[in-house]
Amino acid sequence: MARPLINSSVTLNVIGSLILIMGVLMLPSIGFSIYYGEDDFYPFITSAGIALLVGFILKILTRQSKNAEIKKRDGYLIVTAGWVSMAIFGTLPYLLSGSIPTISGAFFETMSGLSTTGATVLDNIEELPHGMLFWRSMTQWIGGMGIIVLTIAILPLLGIGGMELFVAEAPGPTKDKIHPRIKETAKRLWVIYVFLTVLETIILLFCGMNFFDAINHALTTNSTGGFSTKQDSIAAFNSPLIEAVIIFFMFVAGTNFTLLYFGFKGKFSKFWKNDEFKWYLGAVILLIALLTPVVHANTDGTFLRAFRETSFQVVSTITTTGYASADFTTWGSLATFIFFLLLFSGASAGSTSGGIKIVRIVVLMKNGFLEFKKRLHPNAVIPVYLNKQKVPSHIIYNLLAFIFLYLFVFVLGSVVMTGLGENFEVAISSVATSLGNVGPGISDIGPSHTFSAISPAGKWLLSFLMLFGRLELFTVALLFTPYYWRRN
Amino acid sequence: MKIIITGAGAVGFHLAKMMASEHQDIYLIDQNADRLNYIQSNIDIFTIHGDAKSISVLKEAKVESCDLLIAVTSSEETNLLVSILAKKFGAKRTIARINNLELKDEDNADLLESLGIDELISPVQLASEEIKRLINRSVFTDDHEFEGGKLTVFGISVHEKSALVDKTIQESSYLNPDLNFKPIALHRKEDTIIVNANTKIKSHDIIYFISNPDSIDHIIEICGQECFEIRNIMILGGSSIGYQTAKILELEYNVTLVEKNRERCEELASELKETLIINVDGRNVAALEEEGLADMDAFIAVTADSESNIMSSLVATNHNVKKTIARVENIDYIHLSQNIGIDTLINKKIIAASNIFKYVRKGDVTAIANLHGVDAEIIEFIVKPGSKVTQRPINRLRFPRTANIAGVIRDNVGFIPFGSFRLKEGDRAVVFSLTESIHLIEKYFQ
Repeated sequence: MARPLINSSVTLNVIGSLILIMGVLMLPSIGFSIYYGEDDFYPFITSAGIALLVGFILKILTRQSKNAEIKKRDGYLIVTAGWVSMAIFGTLPYLLSGSIPTISGAFFETMSGLSTTGATVLDNIEELPHGMLFWRSMTQWIGGMGIIVLTIAILPLLGIGGMELFVAEAPGPTKDKIHPRIKETAKRLWVIYVFLTVLETIILLFCGMNFFDAINHALTTNSTGGFSTKQDSIAAFNSPLIEAVIIFFMFVAGTNFTLLYFGFKGKFSKFWKNDEFKWYLGAVILLIALLTPVVHANTDGTFLRAFRETSFQVVSTITTTGYASADFTTWGSLATFIFFLLLFSGASAGSTSGGIKIVRIVVLMKNGFLEFKKRLHPNAVIPVYLNKQKVPSHIIYNLLAFIFLYLFVFVLGSVVMTGLGENFEVAISSVATSLGNVGPGISDIGPSHTFSAISPAGKWLLSFLMLFGRLELFTVALLFTPYYWRRN
Repeated sequence: MKIIITGAGAVGFHLAKMMASEHQDIYLIDQNADRLNYIQSNIDIFTIHGDAKSISVLKEAKVESCDLLIAVTSSEETNLLVSILAKKFGAKRTIARINNLELKDEDNADLLESLGIDELISPVQLASEEIKRLINRSVFTDDHEFEGGKLTVFGISVHEKSALVDKTIQESSYLNPDLNFKPIALHRKEDTIIVNANTKIKSHDIIYFISNPDSIDHIIEICGQECFEIRNIMILGGSSIGYQTAKILELEYNVTLVEKNRERCEELASELKETLIINVDGRNVAALEEEGLADMDAFIAVTADSESNIMSSLVATNHNVKKTIARVENIDYIHLSQNIGIDTLINKKIIAASNIFKYVRKGDVTAIANLHGVDAEIIEFIVKPGSKVTQRPINRLRFPRTANIAGVIRDNVGFIPFGSFRLKEGDRAVVFSLTESIHLIEKYFQ
């Protein structure tokens, strides 16, 4: 008999581990629940119990394939199915406590968390118990660096399979290792991630936040997620200092973590040799400079106020965080449209941000521009350079395919959303913001609104698009191609 | 341990693969980006695209903190230069692959040491020594001596007339009353099986035994084979490996060397005074017959073309040549091994790789041997005081099933440990293990 196409045993084994981790990560919420003496204790105990039990049973049933090699084909399925099952178990606290009574709403909220989108269906966030708020932030924090990367770092997964999983989950067109072994690479990435989170918590405490708000915002800033503990998001604090700190950490979280690693090792020259970082920084500065006068003209406040609000909104949107300190949809059509476009861009590859990623846009712009030169010199060999190195043509084809697929999914999603009865602005911005893992859209789902009015079918579609965007299209899309399900 | 390998050819890849499976930190440098992409997606290592001779590339691989640099590119000059540079930058140990055997002369040892090259590996030399060992012990498909022959591990194929056929090891135990030897593993089709009491032996299996010197003849007998003396040898192919083999065999045996290139024949004839050099194409069977193929006791095919080697060895087998050895370049073919009727398939790259492999072994490893076409290694450990193996008798050690403590040399006497035997400090243990389990075994000896 031929070997089955998919090694279901090893797939279930890894998914079992992921569910176990989900269960463990629910435990801190229990702590908050006890501390604040609120009524979400039993929902959390039950949810964690169910997740741990199911994960444990899956692990036991498939223990013989614990050390089996994970093939490419298995890798894609493990990552996609793993994320979906994590989202399913992540809904338990919301559903059991009744915080979000509908399945579509709870799934949307969990997927929005895990994919670090930050769109919410909650119309009154402050009403939620602290444990539940912490769980929302926690889902974003796990999703930011990626649970697969965490699994590789802490569980004794085989190196061979690990790389396949890593490639399927990590964002960006190229996957850099910072250590010969994938496990050590994953460990270093998580250490940086944890360090940044702890650092931000401490700084926010000094800026006058209470501990609960500080840790929640640190979790959702570094994952570029955007869930807040306040209905009004960061605007609720109305503190320039807190905004500045958050701008800084959002920007850092939108930087390639490999670069951050070199930064921690004192090799700052790497930053200035990195084209993507220069474009990222340049784009942020340019956008702030261009938009500040526009915002100033459309609002009543001082120029400084306009600068402060513009800076926060620009960094929040380009890094796909989605915090709001002001509502950009009130700044006139030009500003709104620019922010709509920013829903697509994303920050650096290898960061926790979503979207298309700056490196892809830069390479394709360079490539497009060189087409003119090629018209004049049809026989010339004109490579595209990035970081002073030639970009191989197969990477360029891959990027073109990525952008095409991205826009195709965007158009298709928008058509379906319109068909589901949403108005034009809501349809296109909800799809763009879900696919880019940003959070707010424009019109009725702008920064000062929520997604609660979207139909259940629309919520399912958007949840799916968030996963699609977080795993960078190909990983999920592959499962829907005939090639995946046949041998040749 | 941090290891830099330069050259992602067969040796480099094979080494990287073996070492990566035991969680070493490996940097592999090569100039072929496609090759590196392929390797990177298959094994867990760090690849660097560039010329290993370039100082910036070596720096990128953090040569200053590396424990071992292995230079195995196809260019001897590059290997030597890279080793010298690496040593100057602070690599603790360097190994270079060479083709020119002159460098290995004892007289040059000081020179090389002063340059900073710790070991020279010549795949050609290792392969020709291997061939010689196989010729000396003609019935064995594999043969490795430990501690100057106090214990021997060898592979032998089971003849259909043998008393062992279709019996389990348990049922055959009456053949081994003094417990002077034991079967450790067997090779059937493509599988290597670690034997236990219930393993059933089939004809044409290759069984690996460990034995003390006195029982070897007995084992040959019970396997239904007989020792035959080799006098006439035909070598096909006058490449460097053919030349080297002829050179070490020609004083003891009657050697005929067949090479199709006229000029190469002239060169060989001036170097190999005792060997008969024949200038014909080895695929011309009639010509080989004319040169007495049927009278040969052994046939060694070592041309650069694997397929010709395999085919001509099969022709030799049909002419009743008792011992055939063929060189294959393609590592994937080596698993075909003896199933197709050739006694031993050798690959000089695997031989070189397993030779280099012993430099990364932890614990006190004194020798390591790789079996042809089998993913297993035989390792000799010196038992250290307080190590895990000394704490319990071997049947209660919970040793991995994929490995076996095959033999022990204590006070200069080799013997075979059974059940309640307990190792003690200073013993030398010969361990047979599938390659994937070696790192598990090492823990028992640390």
